[in-house]
Amino acid sequence: MYFESSVNKTNYRVIVEEDLKNWRLKVQKILKDDTERQWDEHIIPKKDFHTAADGNISLLFNNKSYLVDVVDREDHIEVYTRGSYRNVVIANEDIILRNGLMGLGGLGQVKNLKAGMPGKIVKIFIQEGQEVKTGEPLLIMEAMKMENEIRATADVKIKTIHVSEGDSVETGGALISFG
Amino acid sequence: MIKKILIANRGEIAIRIFRSCREMGIDSVAVYSEVDRESQHVLLADEAYLIGPAPSSESYLRIDKIIDVAKKSGADAIHPGYGFLSESADFAKACEDAGITFIGATSKNITQMGDKLSARALMEKAGMPTVPGSPGAIKNLEEAKTICEKIGYPVMVKASAGGGGKGIRVVHSPEDLASGLRAAQSEGKNYFNDDKVFIEKFVQNPKHIEVQVFGDQHGNAVHLFERECSIQRRHQKIIEEAPSPSLPSEVRDKMCKMAQKATQSIGYQGAGTIEFIFDNVTKDFFFLEMNTRLQVEHPVTECITGIDLVKEQIKVASGEALSFTQEQIKVSGHAIELRLCAEDPTTFLPSAGKIVRCRIPQGPFVRFDGYIYAGYEVSIYYDPMLAKLIVWGANRKECLNRLRRALSEFALTGIKTNVILHKNILDHPKFIDGSYDTQFVDKELITTDKKSFFKYVPDEVFLVSAAIASYQEQKSKSFEQKNGSPKWKAKARLESQNQG
Repeated sequence: MYFESSVNKTNYRVIVEEDLKNWRLKVQKILKDDTERQWDEHIIPKKDFHTAADGNISLLFNNKSYLVDVVDREDHIEVYTRGSYRNVVIANEDIILRNGLMGLGGLGQVKNLKAGMPGKIVKIFIQEGQEVKTGEPLLIMEAMKMENEIRATADVKIKTIHVSEGDSVETGGALISFG
Repeated sequence: MIKKILIANRGEIAIRIFRSCREMGIDSVAVYSEVDRESQHVLLADEAYLIGPAPSSESYLRIDKIIDVAKKSGADAIHPGYGFLSESADFAKACEDAGITFIGATSKNITQMGDKLSARALMEKAGMPTVPGSPGAIKNLEEAKTICEKIGYPVMVKASAGGGGKGIRVVHSPEDLASGLRAAQSEGKNYFNDDKVFIEKFVQNPKHIEVQVFGDQHGNAVHLFERECSIQRRHQKIIEEAPSPSLPSEVRDKMCKMAQKATQSIGYQGAGTIEFIFDNVTKDFFFLEMNTRLQVEHPVTECITGIDLVKEQIKVASGEALSFTQEQIKVSGHAIELRLCAEDPTTFLPSAGKIVRCRIPQGPFVRFDGYIYAGYEVSIYYDPMLAKLIVWGANRKECLNRLRRALSEFALTGIKTNVILHKNILDHPKFIDGSYDTQFVDKELITTDKKSFFKYVPDEVFLVSAAIASYQEQKSKSFEQKNGSPKWKAKARLESQNQG
C-alpha cells in the first residue's frame, strides 16, 4: 500500500507491505529539488508491532522499545511515544488522487485538470463551453473503490473534456482543459 | 474539633485536601460544576454537591452557593485550596459570619496582603527589603541622577501608568539616563496619556524565590525554608524546587528569618508564602508579595521537611498551636515539582480534549498529585494544569535523575501536554547547574529550533507507526466494504464534498 506522509516538516513516500510474519516498509524522503533519494527498508516482525488489550502499541524498532499511541484525527494522525508526539499527515492513494485533482482544478489558472492516480470516470457534470462557478461539481472519479467528487474551487470556463463516463484513465492523463 | 470539611475547589488540589482529611478521620465534601461530574475530585470525595454551570463565576466562585452547601451538608469548615476564592477576603468573611471555620488566613490578613502598596508598606515596616528606587514620580534629570547614583546602575525607568512592556527603559550608565527618561516619558504620554515616571533598580538575572511560612492563633510563627520557582512561562511557574540551588547559605538564613519575623509581626494565621526577587549577580533579595494561601508547589516543601502542610492548616484553623517549633523543622534532601499542563509545549496554548491514555509514574520517592484518567475529557473552562509530578532525592543530582526517570514512565496521550518542554528543561545545562532565572524559558528554550526541541525520538518511529496503523485501518475498511457495509464509500463521498 502506498502512502505519502509528512512528519516534522519533512515529506516521505512510504510503501507498506505485509507477509505472514513481517511488516515490510520502504521509506523515501521527498526532497524539494525532487532528486531521487534511496529507499530505506525496514522489516518489522509482526510481533514487534503488537497491540495490547488496552490499545497501547508495543513497537520494537531497531531493538528499542516504544509504547506507542496512535490517535486518528480528521486530517492527521497523532502519534505519541516516550513523552514525545508528532502530528503525522498521511495520505493514501485515494487522498493523494483527490488532493492532486482538487489542487489542479481548484487553482483556476491551471489549464488542464489531470488525473493524479489511475482510476475510472464515473460521472461528468459539465459540458464544453460551460462556465462553472466555484463549488460546482466537475466529475466523479473512482479509484481504490472510492468515489471522489471533484469540484471547482474557482470560477472557470470548460474548454475541452478529454474523457467520457466509463473511461479508465492513467496517472497524468488529461481530464479537462479550461479556457 | 473539625469533623467535616467542604473543599471549595476542584481538580488535583481538592483531592490533595481529601487525602489529609481522610488520614485525620474527617469527612470531605466536594462541590462541582456541571462539566465536572466526571472529574476525579467528585469521584473521590465522601459527598458531592452540584453548584452550578461550568463557568467559574457561576459555580466555583459563588460564595453564596458554597456557604449554602456547607450549611446543608453540615460541614464545619471550608478549605479553599488555591486559586478561585482562596484569597478572597469576602469569602473568608462570609465563612466567619456563617460560623464556619475558614481554613486559611484571616480576612484581615488577606486584605492587608492583597493590596500591593499596603503589603509593601507593611513589609518595609517589618524590616523587609523592597526593590530600591525613587519614592515617587521623578521631577527632573538632576533628581534622577542623584537617585541612580544612590541605588546603582542598571536601573529601570518606568512610566507609572505603563504596562504590557511599554513605557519601560533599562538604563545601564549615567550617559544614557537622559534619553531613557525621555523615552519612558514619551511612551507614557503617547500610550497612557501620563508622562509620570519613576525609577527602580533593575534586577539582573532575577530569580523567583519564596519562603513558606506558617502562623497559628497563639502568636507562633515559623518558616519552612525556601522554594525556587524561576522556571516560568507566561509569568506562571512550571517547575519548582526546594532548596534553591543558588542561594548562599547566609542569604538563605537571612531571607527565611526575615520572612518568619514578618509573619509574626502581622499576626499571620495559617499557611502563607512570602515571595522574593533574588538578584543572582549581587545576591540581594527584595520582597515581592505575600500569598495568603496554600501554594500549588507546597509538595516540594512537604518532601524536604516531612510535614503535611494541609494537615497543619486544618489543625491551626481549629485552634491548635503549631505542632512544631522552628528548631524542629529540618531540611532533608532535595525535591522538584513539574506542573503537567494540557497545552502546546511550544506556544503554551491550552489543549482541551479527551485523554486517550494516562500512565502514572511509580516507584521510589515519586509523588503524583493529579485528577486525570484515560477517557477523561479535559474541559476548556479551567486551568490547564492536570497534575504535578514531585520527586525527592537525597541531593539535587539524585533528584534530577529520578525526575527524568519518573517523567519517562509518564504517558498522557490524546491531548497536547508540556512533557517535552519539561524534558528539554531538565536536560539544559543552565537548569542542571542551577543558574537559570525567570527569563530562562523565553530566552533559552523557545528560541531553539523546533527540530532540536523534538529530538528525543527519531521521526522514523512516528512515521513507521502511523504507516502500519493506517495500513491496518484501510485493510479493515476494505474488509467491511467487501462484506457489504456501504458506509465507507458513502463517508468518503461526503468527505470529498466537504472538501470541495
